[in-house]
Amino acid sequence: MRPFVYIEPKNPQEALAASVANSAAKYLGGGTNLIDLMKEDVERPAELIEVADLNFKEIKATGKGGFLLGAMCNNAETANHPEIRKSYPLLSMAMLSAATAQIRNMATNGGNLLQRTRCPYFYEVSMPCNKRAPGTGCGAIKGMNAQHALFGWSEQCVAVNPSDMCVALAALGAVVHVQQADSGMRTIDFADFHRLPGSQPEKDNTLQPNDLITAIELPAPVFSDHYYYLKIRERSSYAFALVSVAAGLQIRDGAIAQVGLAMGGVAHKPWKLTAAESFLKGKKPSAQNFEAAADLAMREARPLSDNGFKVEMGKKAIVRALSQAYERTA
Amino acid sequence: METATSSGIGNAIDRVEGRLKVTGMAKYASEFFVENLAYAQAINSTVAKGKIVSIDTSEAEKQKGVILVLTHLNAEKLKAYDEERPVLSVSSIQPVLQSPEIHYYGEYVGLVVADTFEQAQYAARLVKIEYEKDAPTINFEEARGEAYKPNEQSDHLRGDIDAGMAEAEVKLEATYNTPIEHQHPMELHAIIATWDNGKVKAYASQQMIDNAAITIAETFQIPKRDVRVIAPYVGGGFGSKLHAKQHVILAVMAAKMTGRPVQLTVTRQQMFTNTNLRQHNEQKISIGATRDGKLTALAHDTLSHTSTYEEYQEPCGSVSKMLYNVPNNRVTHRLIPMNIQTPFAMRAPGEATGSFALESAMDELAWKLKMDPIAFRILNDTQTDLSNDKAFSSRLLKECLRIGADKFGWNQRKMTPGTNRQGNWLIGYGVSAASRAAPYQKTSSKVLLELKNKTLYATVQMDATDIGTGSYTIIAQTASEYLGIPVERITVEIGDSLFPVTPGSGGSWGAASYANGARMACLNAIDGLKRKLNSHDKAGSIEALMIDNQVTRYEAEGTAEPSEAFKKHSVYSFGANFSEVWVDKDTGMYRIKRMVNVGACGKILNPKTAFGQIIGGLTMGAGMVIAEQSRVEPNYGNFITRSFADYHVPVNLDMANIEVVFLPEEDKIANEMGVKGIGELGITSVAASITNAIFNATGKRMRDLPVTPEKLLTAAVEEIS
Repeated sequence: MRPFVYIEPKNPQEALAASVANSAAKYLGGGTNLIDLMKEDVERPAELIEVADLNFKEIKATGKGGFLLGAMCNNAETANHPEIRKSYPLLSMAMLSAATAQIRNMATNGGNLLQRTRCPYFYEVSMPCNKRAPGTGCGAIKGMNAQHALFGWSEQCVAVNPSDMCVALAALGAVVHVQQADSGMRTIDFADFHRLPGSQPEKDNTLQPNDLITAIELPAPVFSDHYYYLKIRERSSYAFALVSVAAGLQIRDGAIAQVGLAMGGVAHKPWKLTAAESFLKGKKPSAQNFEAAADLAMREARPLSDNGFKVEMGKKAIVRALSQAYERTA
Repeated sequence: METATSSGIGNAIDRVEGRLKVTGMAKYASEFFVENLAYAQAINSTVAKGKIVSIDTSEAEKQKGVILVLTHLNAEKLKAYDEERPVLSVSSIQPVLQSPEIHYYGEYVGLVVADTFEQAQYAARLVKIEYEKDAPTINFEEARGEAYKPNEQSDHLRGDIDAGMAEAEVKLEATYNTPIEHQHPMELHAIIATWDNGKVKAYASQQMIDNAAITIAETFQIPKRDVRVIAPYVGGGFGSKLHAKQHVILAVMAAKMTGRPVQLTVTRQQMFTNTNLRQHNEQKISIGATRDGKLTALAHDTLSHTSTYEEYQEPCGSVSKMLYNVPNNRVTHRLIPMNIQTPFAMRAPGEATGSFALESAMDELAWKLKMDPIAFRILNDTQTDLSNDKAFSSRLLKECLRIGADKFGWNQRKMTPGTNRQGNWLIGYGVSAASRAAPYQKTSSKVLLELKNKTLYATVQMDATDIGTGSYTIIAQTASEYLGIPVERITVEIGDSLFPVTPGSGGSWGAASYANGARMACLNAIDGLKRKLNSHDKAGSIEALMIDNQVTRYEAEGTAEPSEAFKKHSVYSFGANFSEVWVDKDTGMYRIKRMVNVGACGKILNPKTAFGQIIGGLTMGAGMVIAEQSRVEPNYGNFITRSFADYHVPVNLDMANIEVVFLPEEDKIANEMGVKGIGELGITSVAASITNAIFNATGKRMRDLPVTPEKLLTAAVEEIS
């Protein structure tokens, strides 16, 4: 690793001030991604500001029927929290499919939102990568891109977001709470939190410099009965998704009253299947409707040279996730 | 003089070194305390072919703690290869940093030595290197035309293959691919080297002590007696530690140049580029049989790659030469020189990959014949190795298949693919036959007997290694058996070149060699004590003999080596694998639910460690199917699989319920103790049993490993009639 300064601020204000004082500083949560990237020489922060011990560790009900997940709760305790398991089982299922037990014990909720792509061109510092080194080009678009994006990619970047948790959060319609450099608070809708690469793939999300994530807010639960997180991967654990689908259904009088549907492994951000959601709303939960929704969802796919298989895999995954969600307690 | 004890051979005792390992007391190469130790970090090239045109080490050299920055400009001159692309062996020289030429991405181009590991690692990043790039040969497909025949032993021909194929009423031609894989033992390659007055001492993670000493001595052109290699514990090797690789030479060189002991640990990323690999093999099988299932011809042609500077040829066709009764047989191997590091042995070289092709083809042909694949194999069994006309010393392949079928419930298998369904799952059963040579090599050992309060204690020494296999335990059990004392009173000292020479751990010869070597030392000790008394018929215990001789200490050496009978036979272990696989009908996902493995592999010294060997092999074999592959970037030539996050070995959740059965087997031709190796039998043909099960489940023939969800989803169902 390269030399760096490590500090432990006592409160968010100190953390924010330290960040403002050093533009080459980074916040350190569980470190399960950042420290790895420092060892790989991809991330080179001059200073690490420890935020894992800050007071953002509560999981509590909001006044609006929803829940607030502290940014510094680890993934394991969040996924296994009795209230989360009961009211947001889709989130638990997605989170427990991620990484390994050891990593989930360390990784924080805030950090999960900020984990970086697993694109191999991003990881190997001698190769071109616009995300790691803007202006050097995209190695993947003309190279190996079986793991890469179907939707929303640009000539500058075809990388995908690797998170499982975020796919569920997109399906659930979460909101991210942020403390700003001036200590003021604001919220960001989850759909707006991650961004598409466009001409600035180095930016994964819409956070401003120094912003500190304090919590993730979940709306009142509607998918606690019918839910499924399907993750297709190359081994049963400790592998990133080739394609994943988070599906939540609310069934009223035999019809779909509400639906939350998002995909992972297919875009620079968790990919919310808005058109498929609109299509399904009010319809019967039938195989035919699930298949039509899947076709609709994949219509905009723009496969790269190596990842055409993800279109068919994606359709099958959407249909299966919806069927499993529907059949779960039906 | 054999005394039955509860810890002698055949007993499922716990590992004698187990407590040391689980309490962290067993020391591995990089863990030894050495005064004044310096730390090194190697630097790798970032081009796959070309030349270094400039190196700027000034920034690195300025850093605190940096002792030496080593490049080809200031490296010690080493012995050079005396021919173009020499064959890489377990004791080959390893010249490194001898020229500015780059042969592959990740080749060592420098080394930083510093007071701390962190200083070395940081300074290594500050060395600036400029290259003149050349277009590398990294595309197998494009380089096909450059294939060459390595040597005369690469081919085996008997009978007339064309006539045999013409005679066949049912035939198959198919191509099977296995990808580049890496051995990836858990313990990283590591060394602590000292150079003291021309004498080298190396704590090094190596499978073969004596060969490592030869490589070091010959590369530096110093007498072998001046090189001491120590490796009491080795955290796995799978072939990658058979040979002392360039990092060993780098560390010794750095120790010589700095005058300080130097520790060098190869990183996980460097284990993709600098400690060998299993190359991609393209295997073409042509096979034919009469309508009633008698094989008439079998051709197995393998195309692989080697590096541009060394030659290694994996004998993929070795199994096809000897496993079945087929009169017309052709086996060939060809190599393409490529800008990828030299491949070298990985667990069951030849068998693991070759049996995937052969045992897949056997299943395909059985299906075409509408024969049960077990009956088909049994029909073509042979008790003679037709590749050399030698009889097998023992061969229980038919028994393995029959008993395995019984244990597995093979009679529940539905012959037609796609007809065994449960919900979204398609269920399939697969079988494969396995064979692996059971070699045995000259092994020496020393035993030191000691009487304390009229109680006998023994120490057994040899330069063997324990790569996680259980060498300590089976050596102790052998001594227990022949000295008649429990293992608690036996100390095993291995992993030091000061001890008598063994072939080391590799090639499945470790157990047979070590056990027979230890046995000879024990028998010689007893015999020596009797001779001392000038009487050969002294009955009674070793304690009594020592008391009679008025000695409290006695030592003896012994050497075991293959007999004439061994040389006149083909000596193999045999086995059968059975797999049940559940395939998701839509998504490309599948699960290996159950595996049964039956082995006929001589005398089992310890059923517990033997079981561990087999389940390890089965897991690694399943890994070949599930996901294991190293991907080379097509434009740059580097490995894009860089860690265990993307080089996928199986996780617990991937693995099936496993049942392992050892058939009792007496084979005194193999060696006096009747011990055969099992370290590699377990991985052999496992992959085919799984892909054959996938076919039985789905009707899809998966001929390219690994079988990823992508491949399974996009594969076509074969015409099923």
